[in-house]
Amino acid sequence: MTTNSRHASSYRDPSGHVYIENNLIKRIIFPSYFPQYEALKSSGFFEKAFQHKLLIPHEETERSATQICIQPEQIPFITYPYEWSFQQYKEAALLTLKLQKYALQNDFSLKDATAYNIAFHNGNAIFIDTLSLDFYQENTPWRAYKQFVTHFLGPLVLAKYHGAEFLKTMSNFIDGVPLKMIASLLPKTTKLNPFLYTNIHLLAKYENKHQEEDVKASKQASLSKKGLFNIIDNLYNYIKKLQLNEQSEWGNYYQKTNYSDNAFSLKSNIINEWIQSLHAKKVIDVGGNDGTFVRQITSDIELALVGDIDNNAVDQNHYAVKKDKETNMLPFVIDLLNPSAAIGFQNTERFSFVQRVQEFKPDVTLALALIHHLSLTGNVPFENSAAFFAAISEHLIIEFPKRNDSYATRLLNAKAEFKDQFGHYNLEDFERTYSEYFELIDKKEITDSERVLYLFKKKDVK
Amino acid sequence: MHFLYFDAGLGAMLIQAIVAAVAGIALFYKSIKFKIRSIFGLDKNASENEVFDDINIDDSKIENPSKDDN
Repeated sequence: MTTNSRHASSYRDPSGHVYIENNLIKRIIFPSYFPQYEALKSSGFFEKAFQHKLLIPHEETERSATQICIQPEQIPFITYPYEWSFQQYKEAALLTLKLQKYALQNDFSLKDATAYNIAFHNGNAIFIDTLSLDFYQENTPWRAYKQFVTHFLGPLVLAKYHGAEFLKTMSNFIDGVPLKMIASLLPKTTKLNPFLYTNIHLLAKYENKHQEEDVKASKQASLSKKGLFNIIDNLYNYIKKLQLNEQSEWGNYYQKTNYSDNAFSLKSNIINEWIQSLHAKKVIDVGGNDGTFVRQITSDIELALVGDIDNNAVDQNHYAVKKDKETNMLPFVIDLLNPSAAIGFQNTERFSFVQRVQEFKPDVTLALALIHHLSLTGNVPFENSAAFFAAISEHLIIEFPKRNDSYATRLLNAKAEFKDQFGHYNLEDFERTYSEYFELIDKKEITDSERVLYLFKKKDVK
Repeated sequence: MHFLYFDAGLGAMLIQAIVAAVAGIALFYKSIKFKIRSIFGLDKNASENEVFDDINIDDSKIENPSKDDN
């Protein structure tokens, strides 16, 4: 194996790194981490952590005096912290604390606590950075505490006060939100809360005060294990109860529609039929709301990626996944008019949304009740949206609300005096433009509504 | 052996003793509150809409206990 295939995001930890071989994610471990690895393995901690679904399971594939290779269970699609809904973000934070407590009980400790150590897999958050586990040293504080606050607690509390949209800004803070910024963005009243005062305001003050001092002085800091458990238990209790101030009610989220039950069942039957005829196993629904239509699919789906721009819809979807223990649904927050970019050093650490979807190779893309938003809210020409859909999958199921659909009409009216310039938003123009990129396989009117469903197959590139 | 491959923050290391003490008081208060509530049968903790469980891991729930414990 060569280091050329080292994963671009895996350079921070000198204990080893991730690499890609034959399209499989693997991990190489260097001798400096052998003692930890051997202890985690021989004590049975790895095995227990796998069974409790805290840590991604792995198998050892290679062993020599200079390196050990492990192959973790593969995760088909990674969503990043800035694509998580509020409840997903909470789940990721809680899992990190749960693993840290369990590790401490077994005399290990997490040496880092970044949000990128977590992925969503089979319906649960799971810790994916195996080499983050280290020996616990008696009477030492948690060295990843600050990282936990800047990656998890800070963003969650800011989302509580400023809205879940704040989580999207995490793409600008790959190493966590600066403490000073968290403290200054929080309302003054949070200083009266002992939990927020100590974990954020006082922490920011201490960090500011000691930033010039020698790192070695940290050896003076000492804390009993009981003290560590107090910190972790208290963080867990607080985050578990944390809710957005703007939180919407659970349930009946999908009621905000403008069509009848009859049209709804007709629409889902048509989609179902088409998905079956395509034998689709991997699906992406790019405007999937709370996952309602994907849940109507009766054939076996390996994995459905269900994105939506609305945090509350994604929270609702996540809630359904947890409640019913669904394993083949991956909800995430995405704004198609500005999907996640590639970020990090050399712009290669975290991949762009489009690149990840292309690598996932969905069999079909669902774009239901979406094109009027792209075309009328975002002013995206049909040509551009067709090119986007053609770039991500072989097949496309797309719903077109006609001009006299009440939602489309509302968006058109919002254009006021510019309404005339959106004359191109009509069925004929849509079909003509999309036919340049796709071959029309089937087309069905949804009776009892002003909407038409299309099944397209991508044309071969000339 | 520790690799200081990122800055843990001296302030963040020192402050944990204070954070832990305050957390200890909060947890003590919480346990008293819980006891009082359960005496009066007011315990509503088991909310049916809750999807996140407790922090504590129960090792007895493991189906196949580890065979590596040698």
